[in-house]
Amino acid sequence: MSYAYLFKYIIIGDTGVGKSCLLLQFTDKRFQPVHDLTIGVEFGARMITIDNKPIKLQIWDTAGQESFRSITRSYYRGAAGALLVYDITRRETFNHLASWLEDARQHANANMTIMLIGNKCDLSHRRAVSTEEGEQFARENGLIFMECSAKTAQNVEEAFISTAATIYKKIQEGVFDVSNESYGIKVGYGNIPGPQGGRDGGNTQGGGCCS
Amino acid sequence: MIETDINDLSDDADYAAASRQQGPASFNRSDSGRRSSSGETEGAEVVYLKDNVTIHPTQYAADWISGRLKLIKQAGSLFMTWIPYKGQNSNARLTEKDKNLYTIRAVPFSDIKSIRRHNPPIGWQYIIVVLSSGLAFPPLYFYNGGVKEFLATVKQHAFLVRSADDANVFVVNDFQDPLQKTLSSLELPRAVSVANSPSSSVALSESPSSGNQEMTEGGAFNGSAASVRQNGTPRQKHNDPARDLHMQVLEKFSLVTRFARETTSQLFRESQMDGFLASERRRYDQPLVEHQSLVEHPESPDSNGSPKTPVPADPLEFDKMSLVWGKPRQPRLGLEEWSNFLDSEGRVMDANALKKRIFYGGVEHNLRRELWPFLLEYHPYDSTFAEREYLVAIKKLEYETLKKQWQSISHAQARRFTKFRERKGLIDKDVVRTDRSLSFYDGDDNPNVHLLRDILLTYSFYNFDLGYCQGMSDLLSPILFVMKDESESFWCFVSLMERLGPNFSRDQSGMHSQLFALSKLVEILDSPLHNYFQQNECINYFFCFRWILIQFKREFDFDRTMLLWEVLWTRYLSEHLHLYFCVAILKRYRNKIIGEQMDFDTLLKFINELSGQIDLNPTLRDAEALCICAGENGAACIPPGTPPSLPIEDASVYPQLEDDIL
Repeated sequence: MSYAYLFKYIIIGDTGVGKSCLLLQFTDKRFQPVHDLTIGVEFGARMITIDNKPIKLQIWDTAGQESFRSITRSYYRGAAGALLVYDITRRETFNHLASWLEDARQHANANMTIMLIGNKCDLSHRRAVSTEEGEQFARENGLIFMECSAKTAQNVEEAFISTAATIYKKIQEGVFDVSNESYGIKVGYGNIPGPQGGRDGGNTQGGGCCS
Repeated sequence: MIETDINDLSDDADYAAASRQQGPASFNRSDSGRRSSSGETEGAEVVYLKDNVTIHPTQYAADWISGRLKLIKQAGSLFMTWIPYKGQNSNARLTEKDKNLYTIRAVPFSDIKSIRRHNPPIGWQYIIVVLSSGLAFPPLYFYNGGVKEFLATVKQHAFLVRSADDANVFVVNDFQDPLQKTLSSLELPRAVSVANSPSSSVALSESPSSGNQEMTEGGAFNGSAASVRQNGTPRQKHNDPARDLHMQVLEKFSLVTRFARETTSQLFRESQMDGFLASERRRYDQPLVEHQSLVEHPESPDSNGSPKTPVPADPLEFDKMSLVWGKPRQPRLGLEEWSNFLDSEGRVMDANALKKRIFYGGVEHNLRRELWPFLLEYHPYDSTFAEREYLVAIKKLEYETLKKQWQSISHAQARRFTKFRERKGLIDKDVVRTDRSLSFYDGDDNPNVHLLRDILLTYSFYNFDLGYCQGMSDLLSPILFVMKDESESFWCFVSLMERLGPNFSRDQSGMHSQLFALSKLVEILDSPLHNYFQQNECINYFFCFRWILIQFKREFDFDRTMLLWEVLWTRYLSEHLHLYFCVAILKRYRNKIIGEQMDFDTLLKFINELSGQIDLNPTLRDAEALCICAGENGAACIPPGTPPSLPIEDASVYPQLEDDIL
């Protein structure tokens, strides 16, 4: 299927926060609680539409354990977007965000759009990190923020799509040289990159937050 | 022995002379030439014939076998035959049958990649014929001269060009042809030196002065190694160490040929007994073997015998299976055969024979429980039934003691023991994400999942420094599935981790050393592919990470994984067969990888998606063949202590990092 742009995403965060489940919910619209743990990296892809343009998201779902960080770092290269995920029921996964962010800043390109995701918001009775804390961390670090549930699908579409919308907007604003693939963006066939009419590319599907 | 032919060593004149011989039939009478007689097969014309062309299977002159070399043209194709003379040696060491094994029967030139001419200052001229598959025939010594005419005749009837790299190498066939490109995949290395290679291989190394092959210990994948190679190498003259190496490698390939022949004859015997093997052979064996199998029943290796017309290989089939030529896989080891390995008290009488048997066939599932403890070196091969029973009993007690260490941690203690809580939490999370699609592990509250948890947690206390790391549950799962018993599974896992533990060390040193060794192996076994990886920033080989970390567990279904593991655990040909297995997979897809110009991302995705697509047995055979081909040079690529070799003894096997969390 042809696309106007292809964006590479990477999903990062501690082990067990639900990275693979988020991906599966987004690509297959299902929740599989007994997913095999990720070794190395897994891939997913889906087409979305932004500003009436077909955009393909190629998503890299990484292993979360600390030991694999050195391998994971090699996957950042050329990612246009990152979903940084923590588990709202496990405080330590929130505490580790700074170290993930440092990795991302160091190994990804500077214009990578990062979406902070507090996953498992369906388990509010076991909540260990407040929404405000998540918002604050995002604000302080210049990230977009959402709470999601891979189980109920709440905000999952929105998280992936609003990240894409932000990237798309940056393209419109000329932040990226899209002919340089190290930004994680490929221009599809038939699309002529160049001055675009639309100032604001974000579409209305995105946005929203479960808080 | 040295005749006129040897005088015109001036390479280019020689070649020019060959080039001039364009007229038809120019050599038919020029040498000892007898024209093709009416006795030849219909339509076949002998365009070259030379007597006293001899092979030297050993250094003992008594073993040398003389025969007649012919070039035969039939239906527009050129074939080469070499038939040993009958009954020339009274020597008992070489039977007629042995001699037949060396017979070259009608090899079409479409199967030949190159011919290398050797003009030693003393002794006979000889040639080495290298097949497209990478195999080579043993050197053919021309006692009566005639190499020049031989090459000229070939040039007259087939596409022959002198290699730009080496004036003594004549490349057969058109390399524009994609098939030929495929077949050239088994590029011979120009240089194989490894700085820290064991002394046994030093003779094969480049001279120190050429230095561009220095291997830096422990690291830098992006190094300057392998920069000067493929192109722009000046013609190599005598005394060039690289050239000598090249030759030695060629001769190594000759040895492989011999191995392949022995295999072939064995295969043929086996396939008569076993229809399964015959069908497997049809599917996987490449044409060389097909030709060789003719050797087993010619009417007689008569020097006037008519050449068999081989069936040309289907190019597509050949393309797909371009490198399958290790020994055919055998049926799995069964109960009856296993009992024959044991003496009356239960000792394995010949451990090597057992390992060899398992290497080539694996084990029937119901025997795994008994055999895996041997392969994992938990049970000594020379132990008796009674000794093993005793070992199992005391190990059970020992396991219980270890297990109590964490079982006795109270809730209050756990609250003050972060490391334990984190470790347990991680294991709890992972065991429910391990092989849950298997009925053995599926469902809620499955007791086998609890066993996985208990064993991993106990192991993390037994080896507290290493702790728990993701991937371990993948390694334990098949062991528990086979062993069933908790304590036995634990000790088998302990034995496995003695070798694979470094895969999980915090600094990833075990993984890095294996990936590094893998890159060196690809460099010697497929240098164009290696160069491709280097040019495309794939040289860290991270795309093979999952393969190595958990021994291909995610690449095959459960049963094939178990088969592959027991084969690897025999360590029969090499402790590092898994690395050759990686090379074998990569070689199978090299054309796709290079042809589609995959970058790192694409390659990683491609390799990931090979999961479930890899043909186990043919790839094992490739791996075996590659391992034999690489020989000592291959072994020298793998630094001592590289997993799954036992670690080199030192104080701390798993160095702790300062910010160690788990």
